[in-house]
Amino acid sequence: MRKNKLVLATALVLVLVTMAGCRGSSSGPSAPASEPRQELRVGLDVDAGTADPRLARDTSARRVVDLVFNGLVWLDPELKPQPALATSWRQIDPTTWEFTLREGVKFHDGSELTAEDVKYTYDTLLDPAFKAPYRSLYAPIKEVIALDKYHVRFVLSQPYAPLLSYLDMGIVPRAAAQAAGDSFGTKPIGTGPFKLVKWEKNNRIEFEAFPDYWGGVPKLEKVTFLIIPDNTVRAAALEAGDVDLIHSPLSAQDIPRLQANPKLKVEKTNALGFTYVSFNCADPILKDVRVRRALAHLIDKKTISSTIYQGMDTPGKSPLVPAMWAYSDEIKDPEYDPARAREFLAQAGWKDTDGDGVLDRGGKKLTISLKTHSEDPNRIQVVEFLQNEFRKAGIEATVETTEWPTFRDAVQKGDYQLAVLGWLALVDPDRAMYNQFHSRGASNDGKYSNPRVDELLEKGRATTDIEERKKIYREAAQIVVDEVAYAVILYQGYVVAYNQKVSGFQIHPNASFASLARVTIK
Amino acid sequence: MLGYIAKRTALILPVVLGVCVIVFVLIHLIPGDPAMVMLGQDASPEEVARLRSAMGLDRPLAVQLGSFLLRLAHGDLGVSIFQGEPVSRLVLKQLPATCELAVASMLIAVLIAVPLGVISAVKQHSLVDVASMGFAQLGVSMPVFWLGVLLILNFSLRWGLLPSVGRGKPFLEGLAVLLRTGDYLPLADSLRHLTMPALTLGLTTAALITRMVRSSMLEVLHQDYVRTARAKGAPERAVIYRHALRNALLPVVTIVGMQFGALLGGAVVTETVFAWPGIGRLAITAISQRDFPLVQGCVLVVALVFSLLNLAVDVSYTLIDPRVRHGIAQRQ
Repeated sequence: MRKNKLVLATALVLVLVTMAGCRGSSSGPSAPASEPRQELRVGLDVDAGTADPRLARDTSARRVVDLVFNGLVWLDPELKPQPALATSWRQIDPTTWEFTLREGVKFHDGSELTAEDVKYTYDTLLDPAFKAPYRSLYAPIKEVIALDKYHVRFVLSQPYAPLLSYLDMGIVPRAAAQAAGDSFGTKPIGTGPFKLVKWEKNNRIEFEAFPDYWGGVPKLEKVTFLIIPDNTVRAAALEAGDVDLIHSPLSAQDIPRLQANPKLKVEKTNALGFTYVSFNCADPILKDVRVRRALAHLIDKKTISSTIYQGMDTPGKSPLVPAMWAYSDEIKDPEYDPARAREFLAQAGWKDTDGDGVLDRGGKKLTISLKTHSEDPNRIQVVEFLQNEFRKAGIEATVETTEWPTFRDAVQKGDYQLAVLGWLALVDPDRAMYNQFHSRGASNDGKYSNPRVDELLEKGRATTDIEERKKIYREAAQIVVDEVAYAVILYQGYVVAYNQKVSGFQIHPNASFASLARVTIK
Repeated sequence: MLGYIAKRTALILPVVLGVCVIVFVLIHLIPGDPAMVMLGQDASPEEVARLRSAMGLDRPLAVQLGSFLLRLAHGDLGVSIFQGEPVSRLVLKQLPATCELAVASMLIAVLIAVPLGVISAVKQHSLVDVASMGFAQLGVSMPVFWLGVLLILNFSLRWGLLPSVGRGKPFLEGLAVLLRTGDYLPLADSLRHLTMPALTLGLTTAALITRMVRSSMLEVLHQDYVRTARAKGAPERAVIYRHALRNALLPVVTIVGMQFGALLGGAVVTETVFAWPGIGRLAITAISQRDFPLVQGCVLVVALVFSLLNLAVDVSYTLIDPRVRHGIAQRQ
C-alpha cells in the first residue's frame, strides 16, 4: 500500500513540475516583456553533413555555410555576382581573372583574411584526395596565385564563363583549417555573420552573432537550426511557435493551412531546380527518338503539377528554369497528347497485333520500367501516375522504387529505362546542361549524344557575353527537348513560411540564408 | 545460478559477432556505396570509381570483412565516413536519448498495462474488460506516426501545452540540477519534451502488454492453487496479487523484455516524428548514406543491448519463478 502511495506521489510531483514548466516557459522567465529576444529558430528537414563549404553537399550544409562563411562574391536574388570578400574583379584575358580582396576582414578566430586563404581554399578543393563533391564545377581552374596580401589571380585551362557564379563558395582560413584537419567540418571558422557555437548531431545547430562581421553586426543574437525530419510536423512546429521559420521541402497539403494562418507569412519563388524524367538513350527500345517522343506526349505535366504538387511546383518545359537568366518561355515541348503518342509508337513499329491491349513488335511486348527513389513521396506518386498513363496507351509499364543510393547506383550504371529525379542549385545554365547533355558530361546518365549540342555547350562555356550565351543555351535546350533526352516535368518552387514577427527575411531562389544577417525579431 | 549467468553471458559474444557479420555482408551487397553518395549527382562514374578504390571499397568483401573484424577485436569501431568522428563516440552520444525515451515509454506502458490487464482478467466480460480490450485493440492497430501527429496537433497546436518536437535538457541532468540547486525548470523542460514521444510509444506498447497480462492472468486464475488460496480464506487482494499475478508474470516479463529491446534498438518512426535525436535515426541516416562503419557501430550496440536484455529477462525468471531456479540447479 505504501509503495502505491510512493508511486502516486512521484507521478504527481513529475506532473506538477511539467505543468510548472509550461507556465514558466510561456511567460519567458528571462526575457523582459518590452524587448523581444533576438533569437531565430529555424526548422530544417535534415542535419547538415558538414559545415566545411568545400565539402558541403546537402542543402542543410549549404544553409550552415551561408551563416558561417562568405565567398569572394555572393549571388543576389537575380543570381548576379555581387562583391563579398572580393570588392572588385576583372578579366585580364579569356583565361585569367584577378580579384581584389576586402581589407580588414576578420575570421571568427580573429585572424585576417588574405589572398593566401583564398588560394588555400581553392587548392584544397581541387585536390582529388580532398573528395569535394562539386570539384568538377571548378575543374577548369588551373592555378590560383596569391599576388600579394589582397590580390589573387585565377588562371583557367580554358575560357569558363560560369566561373563567377561558382565563386560564392565560402573561404576558409588556411592556418585554422590546416590545424583542425578533418574536424574543421564540425568546428568551422569563417568570416560570416554568425559563429557556429554548438552542434548536437541530428538535433540542433546553434549560432551566435559575430561582433566583428565585416558587413556590420547582425541584429539577431542567436540562430538555432532544429532538425525536424517530418514535413508535416515541421509545419506544425511553426504553427505552434516552436520554430520561427521553415522552408522547402514542405508537403503541398500543408501550405494552404499555413497561408490561412494570420500569425504566419508564406513566400514563394521559383527555385533553381527541376524535376525530370531521364530517358536512357542507350536502351534498345528508347534509342528510337520516336518512342521517346511518344512517351513524352504521355506526360500530363499540368495534372502532375496541380494534383500531386498542388501548384507548388509548376509545369516544366526545358532545363532552363524560370529563375535563370537564360530562361525562355518560347521553347516548345511535347504536349500531353495520347493520340499523338500512339501515332509515334505506330511509326516506330509498335502496334497491338494480337489484340491483347498491349503494343508489340516482332512478337515482343512494349515494356517500360519507371524508377525513382523512396525518399520523396511526391516522386513516387509521379511514377505511379505515369505508369497508369502508359498502360492506358498500351504500354506494359512497371514501377521500381528504391532508396537513393540503390537508385542512383542503377541510374549511373545505365541500368534503367526511365528514371524520375531532380537537379538543384542550377546557378548557371552550364550547370544545368553541360554535365547532363554533353556526350562526355559527367552526369550524362542516359548516354545522350548530339554533336551540335556538344558544340553549343562548349561555346556557352567559352563565351562571356550574356546575350550571346542566352541564344546558345536556348538553342541547345530546344534540341534536347525535341530529342527527349530529358522530359522536364516540373520547375521546382521554393517556399518559405515564417512567423510575422520575423522581419527582413529575403527569399532567394537558391534557398540562401544570407539575408539572416539583416533579420530582426519584432 | 552464477554458472548459468556466466554461460549465458559467454553466448552473447557469438550472437553479437554473428549479427555483425551478417549485417556487414548485407550492407555491402546492396547496391550503392559511400563513394557515390559522397560525390553526389555531379560526379562521373570514373571519379566515383577512383574514390571507391581510395576508400578501399573495391577490395574483395572477405578482405574488407577481415580488416573490420581485426579492428573490432582491438575495440576499434572505426570513424564515420560522413561525420568524420569516431563511431563509438557518435553512438554513445545518441544512446542516452534513446535510453531516456525507452525507459519513460516502458514505465508508462507497464503502469498502464499491468493494472488494466489484471482488472480485465478479474472482471472478465465486464464493461472494464471490454473497454480495456478495446483500448488494446486500438493501440495495437494504430500507426505510431498517426498517434504522434495527433498528439502534436492537440497538445502543441490546439492547447499549447507541450513543445511539438525535439529533446529538452537530458532528464538526469535536469534531475541533478533540481537536487543540487532546487531549480526545477531544467527538469520541467526535459519532461515537457519527453511527454509526447514517451506517451506515443508507451500507449502502443501498453496495448500489447495489457493483452498479455490479461490472458496470462485468466489462465492462472483458473488454476487449483488459486482456488486453494481462496478456500483457505486469503483476502481477495492477496489472492490476485500474491498468488495469481506473480505466476502470471512470466510471459509478461518476456514480452516486456522484448519490447524494451525493440525500444532501445531505436523507435525510428517516433524518433522521426518528434525529431528525437536517438540511435534509430542515426542508424537510418547511416544506412541511407551507406556509412558502413556507423551502420556497423549502431548494429553492434543494438545487438549487444538486445542480448543483455534477453539475459536479464532469463535471469529474472529465476527470481519470479522458483521452479525455473530449481530446474537450472537440477540440470547443473
